[in-house]
Amino acid sequence: MNARAATTAPRGRPRLAAWRRQHAWCLRDSLHQLARRPFGTALTIVVMGLALSLPLAFYLLLANVQHLSGALGESQSVSVFLKPSITMDTAESLAQDLRARADVAEVTIRTPRQGLAELAAVQGFGEALHALPANPLPYVLLVQPRKGLDRAQAGAMVQALRALPQVDLVQDDGQWRARLDALIALGRRATLLLAVLLGAAAVLVIGNTVRLDIRTRADEIAVQQLVGASASFVRRPYLYEGVWYGLAAGIVAVLLVLLLEAVLAAPVRELVASYAGRLQFGGLPSTALLLTPLCAAALGWLGAWLASTRHLLRPSP
Amino acid sequence: MIRFDSVSKRYPGGREALSNLSFRVETGEMAFVTGHSGAGKTTLLKLIALIERPTGGAIEVGGQNLARVKRGGVARLRRGIGMVFQDHRLLMDRSVADNVALPLVIAGMPREERARRVRAALDKVGLGGRGGDAPAALSAGEQQRVGIARAIAGRPALIIADEPTGNLDPQLAEEIMRLFVGLREAGTTILIASHDLPLLKRMKQRAIVLDHGRLIDDVPASEVA
Ligand SMILES: Nc1ncnc2c1ncn2[C@@H]1O[C@H](COP(=O)(O)OP(=O)(O)OP(=O)(O)O)[C@@H](O)[C@H]1O
Ligand SMILES: [Mg+2]
Repeated sequence: MNARAATTAPRGRPRLAAWRRQHAWCLRDSLHQLARRPFGTALTIVVMGLALSLPLAFYLLLANVQHLSGALGESQSVSVFLKPSITMDTAESLAQDLRARADVAEVTIRTPRQGLAELAAVQGFGEALHALPANPLPYVLLVQPRKGLDRAQAGAMVQALRALPQVDLVQDDGQWRARLDALIALGRRATLLLAVLLGAAAVLVIGNTVRLDIRTRADEIAVQQLVGASASFVRRPYLYEGVWYGLAAGIVAVLLVLLLEAVLAAPVRELVASYAGRLQFGGLPSTALLLTPLCAAALGWLGAWLASTRHLLRPSP
Repeated sequence: MIRFDSVSKRYPGGREALSNLSFRVETGEMAFVTGHSGAGKTTLLKLIALIERPTGGAIEVGGQNLARVKRGGVARLRRGIGMVFQDHRLLMDRSVADNVALPLVIAGMPREERARRVRAALDKVGLGGRGGDAPAALSAGEQQRVGIARAIAGRPALIIADEPTGNLDPQLAEEIMRLFVGLREAGTTILIASHDLPLLKRMKQRAIVLDHGRLIDDVPASEVA
């Protein structure tokens, strides 16, 4: 059509303005459509919000466990408890021998007196210790392995320490740290997997919701097409719909995790206090708070895009 | 503006709805398509708006060969045509004003101008002040006029109307026809399907007469008695 038709698309800048106005209309229309069935919309959003909050909660948990384990000491040091009969001289010469080993970086001696003082500093122990007739603690050598030892080498070192005749007990702090680190790494993978699965679920749920919406509004779509709506115009409100669903679900997920944080804050603070304030409960970083709704919105868009591609863009005659 | 060249249309599984149809409607002309029920009037209009494709022959609209109009072009073609549907095709869950505004929204028209045009179109069909109503709250004839308002609101160069006065009393029907005549005088090309012969006679416009999908008569305006 040409002639003086006022409805044909204008060129250049006015065309851009027209495009913007179409978007504004579709945006408002999509919100309007969601608001027409508030219960269904809210239900979908809350269910998806719950699903999306799961990986966030796991993430929060892991971050704090990691934080905790970090605060409990970066040390990989091995505590070597000597036999009670060992004297200061023997302890020192043994320490000297150990320092000569290639796999040892540093050896510190902790005397029974130091050990007792340390114990006394821990709340509640002071009184009990005063009641002891003599210091029951042995000399302890804190052996710091050389940096960069692998698991097998560290194990060999611990074995060698255990075999020494002067040694009563070897406590390998590094080992439980290594185990914890492995657990945390496993947890991270599981969380990532969970996030991917639930993200895919969100795409499918939104896609299905949009598909149903397209079906119930088939008559409206037909009329729009009859009066000249392009495929992209017809599709746009549904894409917006997907984005709103995702965005709202992401915000719900973040709010749920913030609620979880608030609920956990008090007991965690007590736990932290028992560690003499060296620990702090870490909340979700603000980037995660911001990124979650944005990613969820992107997932919603994807779901709506898939649904509208499949169910809307049928070839016209 | 419109040119049919030996056009045939056979619906899948059906008999031929239009056979070997040839005629022209010039730019700025007004013509009626008439004939008994089932003669092929609706089919003819649908071919112009590419709601259906012909199974034979060629159609040109606004100088454009419709056979060459691909998917994206269909919407563009329809945006240049104001169409009134036999079954109204209103959005029942939107207000009357929103229905009339739809083609203007699709064209990306600014809000204020949209509102102005919607009001003007509703005034023209005698529904001024009913913009906020739901179509369901309107009589069949009023709904039909909403459909007419929607078709004229965008001031298209071509209007095709399918039984636009089917639900109207004779006086209102004539008023609506006068509205179309006024638009034609302003340069719009208009094609109206109608089987209301007395009304056609009073309007004194060209009549393309169909019978079982065949063109049996093409009466120029001057000869309508
Ligand atoms: N979608 C369809 N599928 C099959 N046959 C159809 C279809 N639409 C119309 N027909 C047939 O094509 C013929 C012409 O139909 P059409 O709707 O064009 O008639 P009409 O002149 O508009 O009739 P009316 O005055 O009753 O509206 C009829 O025989 C009808 O049965
Ligand atoms: Mg018909």
